[in-house]
Amino acid sequence: MERQPFVFGIRHLSPAGAYYVREFLDEVKPEMVLIEGPSDFTDLMGELAGEDVKPPVAVMAYTRQLPVRTILYPFAEYSPEYQALLWAKEHGCPCRFCDLPSDVFLGIRARQEEKRQEDGDGSGSQSDEAEGQGGDGSGAKDSGDDHGAARRPFDVYEALDRQSEDGDHETFWERTIEQCADSRGYRTGAWEFGRALRELSRKDRDEDAENLTREAYMRRVIGQVLCEGIQADRIAVIAGAYHGEGILGGGRAMSDEEFAALPRLESLRTLMPYSYYRLSQRSGYGAGNRAPAYYEYLWQGLKRKEADYGARRYLSGLGAYQRANGGVASAAQVMEAARLARALAQLHGSRIPTLKDLRDGAVTCMGQGAFSELALAVADTEIGTKIGSLPQGVSQTSIQADFYENLRELRLEKYKSVKAMELDLDLRENLRVKSKKAAFLDLERSFFLHRLRVLDIRFAAAQAVKQDNATWAERWVLQWTPEAEIQIVEAVLKGDTVRQAAAFQLKAKTDAGTGISELAKVVSEAFYCGMPLALHSALEALQELAVDAVSVVQLADTAEELSVVIRYGDIRKLDRTPLIPIVSQLFLRACLILPGECACDDQAATAMIPAIGKLCQVGTAHDFVDYQRFLTVLTEIASRDDLNTRLSGAAAAILLEQGSMDSTELGREVERRLSKGIPAELGAGWFAGLSSRNHYGLIARLTLWEKLSDYLDTLDGEEFKRALLFLRRAFADFTSGEKDQIAENLGEIWQVNPAQVSEILNDSLTEDAMEFLEGLEEFDFGDI
Amino acid sequence: MNDNHVQRLPAEQLFQEEIDALIAAEKNPVPQGWRMSPKSVLTYICGGRCGDRDITPKYIGSRRLVEIAISTLVTDRALLLIGEPGTAKSWLSEHLAAAVNGNSTRVIQGTAGTTEEQIKYSWNYAMLIASGPSREAMIPSPVYRAMEQGAIARVEEISRCASEVQDALISILSEKRISVPELGIEVPAKKGFSVIATANTRDKGVNEMSAALKRRFNIVVLPAPESLEAEMEIVKSRITQLSGNLDLNAKLPEAEVVEKVCTIFRELRKGATLDGKQKLKTTSGVLSTAEAISLLANSMALAGSFGDGVITDYDLAAGLQGAVVKEDSKDRNVWEEYLENIMKKRGSRWLSLYEECKELNR
Repeated sequence: MERQPFVFGIRHLSPAGAYYVREFLDEVKPEMVLIEGPSDFTDLMGELAGEDVKPPVAVMAYTRQLPVRTILYPFAEYSPEYQALLWAKEHGCPCRFCDLPSDVFLGIRARQEEKRQEDGDGSGSQSDEAEGQGGDGSGAKDSGDDHGAARRPFDVYEALDRQSEDGDHETFWERTIEQCADSRGYRTGAWEFGRALRELSRKDRDEDAENLTREAYMRRVIGQVLCEGIQADRIAVIAGAYHGEGILGGGRAMSDEEFAALPRLESLRTLMPYSYYRLSQRSGYGAGNRAPAYYEYLWQGLKRKEADYGARRYLSGLGAYQRANGGVASAAQVMEAARLARALAQLHGSRIPTLKDLRDGAVTCMGQGAFSELALAVADTEIGTKIGSLPQGVSQTSIQADFYENLRELRLEKYKSVKAMELDLDLRENLRVKSKKAAFLDLERSFFLHRLRVLDIRFAAAQAVKQDNATWAERWVLQWTPEAEIQIVEAVLKGDTVRQAAAFQLKAKTDAGTGISELAKVVSEAFYCGMPLALHSALEALQELAVDAVSVVQLADTAEELSVVIRYGDIRKLDRTPLIPIVSQLFLRACLILPGECACDDQAATAMIPAIGKLCQVGTAHDFVDYQRFLTVLTEIASRDDLNTRLSGAAAAILLEQGSMDSTELGREVERRLSKGIPAELGAGWFAGLSSRNHYGLIARLTLWEKLSDYLDTLDGEEFKRALLFLRRAFADFTSGEKDQIAENLGEIWQVNPAQVSEILNDSLTEDAMEFLEGLEEFDFGDI
Repeated sequence: MNDNHVQRLPAEQLFQEEIDALIAAEKNPVPQGWRMSPKSVLTYICGGRCGDRDITPKYIGSRRLVEIAISTLVTDRALLLIGEPGTAKSWLSEHLAAAVNGNSTRVIQGTAGTTEEQIKYSWNYAMLIASGPSREAMIPSPVYRAMEQGAIARVEEISRCASEVQDALISILSEKRISVPELGIEVPAKKGFSVIATANTRDKGVNEMSAALKRRFNIVVLPAPESLEAEMEIVKSRITQLSGNLDLNAKLPEAEVVEKVCTIFRELRKGATLDGKQKLKTTSGVLSTAEAISLLANSMALAGSFGDGVITDYDLAAGLQGAVVKEDSKDRNVWEEYLENIMKKRGSRWLSLYEECKELNR
């Protein structure tokens, strides 16, 4: 018989696979170990197997061009590939990755996506899915292995779910293969599993073609090894069980021409720390992912040669979590849960409970039958919080290097600690130091931290500063987490340095922005990050959109956001001149359309009042805007009767504040607005608008109260009831102090004791009055 | 034994053939005190095949829950089945006892009047006074007998008993023995002894179980049927069994009738239409699957006795009226709203039922 390489079929992230692959290698003693994984990752093996590497870690390849595509290979301690790698290192055995190089993977992925898009909408959901996976990088690894099925041969897994006694293929795998008692059992079991899966899932032609390509390449690598003079039976191949038959199936190896003809996308690679949480989030990525921490217990159990260690550890973990978090979980309950789980396993003919048995046992015995009781404990115990780490300097991405360089330069290194620390920044020039760099240290720090914030790297969190509008002061809370390291590595997809990545992110936001207020946010982000170029491109996009019809509310929001940037720009050493024409343009447009938009219902008016306020703020803050026009427009709004009366009132309030309306005018206006014949709710609405801005300004004007008093005198009973309802609302947000002052006014007008009036005004309502008012609320006035 | 004069046969007699077949075909190890292996119990309850025989499913719903229940009994822990009314708690408990011991009649019905003696043992007072305490004068409770025989005792509606009576079970479940101080003896439970209790979560007039007692049970919560199809399946299979037992002289309801009843019940139970688009008011009572079954049996009886043996919309409407409007005028309004807002708009298929219901609800 022809001699063949040994193939050990595995499932990624399978503790038993990881354990038995070592036994298998010990037995076979190969001269070459080939591991499924992009062949261009081979030179990373040394680093990956390094002593200070603490899994979970991942290897990521990503394209240089946009759109950025990634593939990701996570390794946990219980990954068979990782253990094979360690074995090879310990035994001085040469070792290589034997799958298609990552640039080919990325090329194939891109081509598939194009094809899917061409195929049209019919496969919409599929392409969505592919995008999701391509985006987060799990796609490549998924495809083709036993759990490649996670991608599309969903039907296969559903069929498995239906066929297996447990009704769930994960449990089926755990019960039948993960719990194998020896290396041989696991190897044959996984082989059969992969073979059956292969037979069943030959439906998707794309998928199949990709797998065949990969296997042809693996045979090519095997061929190369043979050429180097190593006997076929001295080679061990560690690959997904699915590929077992494909590798040995006697197909032809890929030729040089074929290899050269494969699509390629230029890519970079990096090692990065990884976390169990992230592993668990890759749903559909196969074994171990669901419950990485539990699988680690299984791995420890195998190493200790205690088959039920995982079960014990898991249940005690649940109990401990419950106790630590105020739940009840006695040792007795934990034991009962273990017994029940074992009985459940026996019902399925096995000795060792699976995760499902354990969980059901725990829910029944510790959670009183309700999963919700244990949900948090289960999440904590199954997923865990473990985060991997790489020694400093191992395959750092450019952005990591840049990040650390920045930390050093900005003297932030001591903040890289797991303890949260506060950092107060004073953005003003420090005049006591000599160098320019030192003088603006805090400003640079602020830029840097804001850039991290834009990139969603959770290292620093901005805190509100007590002193309002002290734009030169910032307070940050800095706290280092390994998760942040992962986020930094991921940011490399956006750029090589923190600055570049932030610029990319802002650019992306600019491109995605559809409203001017959204873009104004980007402008101010760019401003906080000290990135003039990004600011300008966002500004340009904003200008384009501003030409289209937009509402006053949006215009006002945008103008205000930009106005803040202009007002405080110099503290951040920013050239603000390009903003000025835009703000005055926005302001002008707002003025032009404002009267038209004031004819609206009360709901819209609620949003309009703050918008008008913002415009007023912008108008008073800058002398380059046409403030006079704004006041003219307000005067128009205040005097017109056909607009929403609340807005007319609000306009009058601003005019009062700005000194463009005096008491006589106000008196006339009150009389007109509240005169008999005008429906009461319109009058009250106007009054509500008037009082919406400045309570004291109103209180101080005695004429107003005289007119109001006169108005009330003219009302008959029914009209009074109606006015009461609306006036009550208008005064609802006056404080009791303000009510005191109103009482003084009224006391003066009515010639009564202010203290008495105040007492009545501030007294809480009696039940009868409440009921009466509630009746009024529901009363149908007919003319509304 | 198996005569037709008994109104309701216990499960082990009703399904004796199936049980015998499963015992005969047993291949797996049988726990002490059991008549068949846990796997066969599972087949008996969830249905399946035994040799060339079909075993009818007794409990239609989550197979996993049944697995947990059986495994609980294997570990000689007590089992507590909790759920809303009509979720087949007692049904499951009866069949579990029937399959495990071939005897589901060791049962204590929990009521407000249940006393501790009924849980432990009581006396034949005539004999007690005549000849003093003796084994013969003692009347053992079902639990007592189950302990002696190493079998399963059932306690129905445990939460209806007074708390102190419930707590009488604590020592039995933890010590696994009953002491009879009058006779100076202690009866240890034989292997295989266990208790299956059922408790209701939504009834009025229940006594909350103490934590100490709850800890001695493995708790399995039985849900209402998951989907309309599952519920229809349950109703259909039970109706088929019932009509045989009760000689109803009517045709089995058509699938459409079952579907209508299940739809109405599910919607009123959930407070929303099946497609989730419309909110509804719920009735004061629980509209359980069990009630849907009795409603249909009732309609069949109506049709068989007074009609031509086919359930008409009139028969159905009468049943629905009785099931939905139980307590007060509120239910009447809920039903009225349902009729007008939902049923009326369902088109011609529902029209005649709608009109009959409307007529009755006046």
